[in-house]
Amino acid sequence: MLLDLSGIQKRFGGVTALRDGNLAVEAGEVHLLLGENGAGKSTLMKIVAGIEQADAGCMRWQGREVSLRAPAEAAAIGIAMVHQESLLAPHLSVAENIFLGREERLSFGWVNRRRMLEKAARLIEEHHFPLHADWRVERLSPPGKQLVEICRAIQHGSSLLIFDEPTASLSGEETQEVFRIVRTLRARQMGVIYITHRLEELRAIGDRVTILRDGATVHTGSLAEIPTDRIIQYMVGREMVAIYQREPLPPGRELLRVEGLTRGVELRDISFSLRAGEIVGLAGLIGAGRTETCRAIFGVDPVDAGKTFVDGREAHIHSPREAVAAGIALVTEDRQKTGLALRLPIAYNVTMANVPEICHFCLLDAPAQSRVTAEYIARLRIRCSSGRQPAGRLSGGNQQKVVIAKWLFRHASVFLFDEPTRGIDVGAKAEVFELMDELARAGAAVLMVSSELQELLQVADRILVMRQGRITGELPGRTTQEEIMRYAALDREVAP
Amino acid sequence: MQRLLPFLSLIVLFVGLAIASPHFLTETNLSSVVRQTAVINIMSLGMTIIIIAGGIDLSVGAILAMSGVIGAMAMEKGMPIPVGILVGILTGLAWGFVNGILTTRLRIAPFIVTLGTLGIIRGLTLIITNGLPVHGVPQGFSFLGEGNLLGVPFVLWVLVVCALATHVILEHTRLGRYAYAIGSNPDAAVYAGVPVGFDTTTVYALGGMLTGLAGMIEASRLMTGQPAAGNGYELQAIAAVVIGGGSLHGGEGSVVGTLIGAFIMGLLSNGSDLLGVSPYLQQAIIGAVIILAVTVDELRKRRLV
Repeated sequence: MLLDLSGIQKRFGGVTALRDGNLAVEAGEVHLLLGENGAGKSTLMKIVAGIEQADAGCMRWQGREVSLRAPAEAAAIGIAMVHQESLLAPHLSVAENIFLGREERLSFGWVNRRRMLEKAARLIEEHHFPLHADWRVERLSPPGKQLVEICRAIQHGSSLLIFDEPTASLSGEETQEVFRIVRTLRARQMGVIYITHRLEELRAIGDRVTILRDGATVHTGSLAEIPTDRIIQYMVGREMVAIYQREPLPPGRELLRVEGLTRGVELRDISFSLRAGEIVGLAGLIGAGRTETCRAIFGVDPVDAGKTFVDGREAHIHSPREAVAAGIALVTEDRQKTGLALRLPIAYNVTMANVPEICHFCLLDAPAQSRVTAEYIARLRIRCSSGRQPAGRLSGGNQQKVVIAKWLFRHASVFLFDEPTRGIDVGAKAEVFELMDELARAGAAVLMVSSELQELLQVADRILVMRQGRITGELPGRTTQEEIMRYAALDREVAP
Repeated sequence: MQRLLPFLSLIVLFVGLAIASPHFLTETNLSSVVRQTAVINIMSLGMTIIIIAGGIDLSVGAILAMSGVIGAMAMEKGMPIPVGILVGILTGLAWGFVNGILTTRLRIAPFIVTLGTLGIIRGLTLIITNGLPVHGVPQGFSFLGEGNLLGVPFVLWVLVVCALATHVILEHTRLGRYAYAIGSNPDAAVYAGVPVGFDTTTVYALGGMLTGLAGMIEASRLMTGQPAAGNGYELQAIAAVVIGGGSLHGGEGSVVGTLIGAFIMGLLSNGSDLLGVSPYLQQAIIGAVIILAVTVDELRKRRLV
């Protein structure tokens, strides 16, 4: 047994992150770690990697009990983590990053650059990685950066590698590349712990699976012996309602219309409209211009040409402030960077876009703020200790709900959701879909950008497909993934 | 525990000084502590809002000097005392506004902007005065810094009013709420439709205004407009905010914390005077205290997140 965790407990302030974390990983296996957001996966992995320390429980490494007080101690015994967001030095070369902190030294503190390059090149060649030792890291794609972290782990003799959602922001091809690498590691008799939210990935990569729920391990066993719906049941702790499928409403009046939106080569002549009660999907490959479309409508990036009409009237939007004033809301792709003030209380975040409504005669009305916050916490089922809890302490799904609450309280009429389910778990995804449906029923117009075609098919009334900055197709909601991909990936012009 | 730490340090410092020096607990000394600290205190209140909004103002010492000088000149030219004080305050406000405009319009880091304006303002002040103090202020002007109202130093009343006003702005107005939001995550604030540029500028202007007032109090205590006044005060003001729990990353800080921080700074300098510690060493102590306070803040944050 490579790694054996039993009865791990961890509390953060008043919140119990882990009650009973158990996990056993063998050498030469890919062990999937599953669970909803907030189930305790990340906390458990941080304990394994020495970033956090357990309050109780026992961690055994190759049979011996260990307690790690720092990431360096974990690295020293052979545990490495490939982070979701790369922790590399972007301006250094691949080789320099691989040896960062453990440079090949000559005497007098000189670094042996040539030897490092040689060693890195040999390592890369040995594994057939698509890298070059002297490339600068900043120019690498996300999987390329992950590769560098992997090389680093191999070079330093790690025997356990932890992947925290490595494919969350990757395209299909890049995902396959990551899989291939993970298999190489397994073949080298390394242990791999693999966290993912993409259930369709499981069988392509995993050997065994451990499922966490509410801070405790609820199942562990061979992946071959458990069907996917059983996995979902373990994760959410209840029978999953039949896969969500939205019933379209008769669309109302037009709430948003964009005409000829153009911005350099990113966006070329984008025109479409959204009606009240409608959920419209926006599909396309990474780089097709979906996020850019949202940003342009929301006034983040200036456009070269194009008009925006909100509720029939032309809106001159040059900044997010003007977009918000016009009644447009944008739930961004990266909620930590652009959606939330992580260190401020939930209450501050919920009311941030509509402070005037909780003001009386220029003064904030604290009771009104608490009332509003409590209302949205209950309505969106945000799991937290109170409205005073910092937003950064919540799990991904609950953070997303706070962002949505912010726009609900702003009473926006047009909602742009950019990858609303990224990094959130199955249960929270269903809740986000329900919220979008609720919004549409209440008369809002919703645009949903998603890379998960299955999600678009479930939720959207009709689907716009983008390719290289253009809208190349408009499809009914009941279409197929194959049809969407044809418009998204194939090089052909489609008559409107 | 960490929240109480500054308060406990203040008490320990107070008791320690009371034991160490027989002159500490005298009325003359305590009222002089209050008068001296009021200047730093009022400046620190402005710095608190600025730091909460994610900024910093290194030019406050220079603004303080120019405000005192311009206010004193106005009175020298025969303007009534209240008008002179107002002129000083508006001078501070104007420079705060300049700092705000430069940081928001040119998108230069406030550290650099205010380091630049520090040089500009100090230089201009010396040019205007030829490096000489401005005398010629009316006798009555001394009341602001040295007078008593209801048996208590007048500046203490001024400080209480300023502190209350700042507290209300921070905790109970839209501007305060936006300051926290901007300091905590400027991008999220922009996306939420917060008028980030306007409010940031307002915050710097408010800070400048409070510094202008502090400058007039300093001028009143010296009964001159000193072009070299306020040298190194920015260090004390920042220290007061940070000791009081403000975070240089923005989004954190409070008026009560800053007041405690400023009184700690005041006692440190008064105690050093009483105990015959060299003023040069005092500077070094203040610098060390800032690093200590930031360290405590960082350690606390690491444990939290």
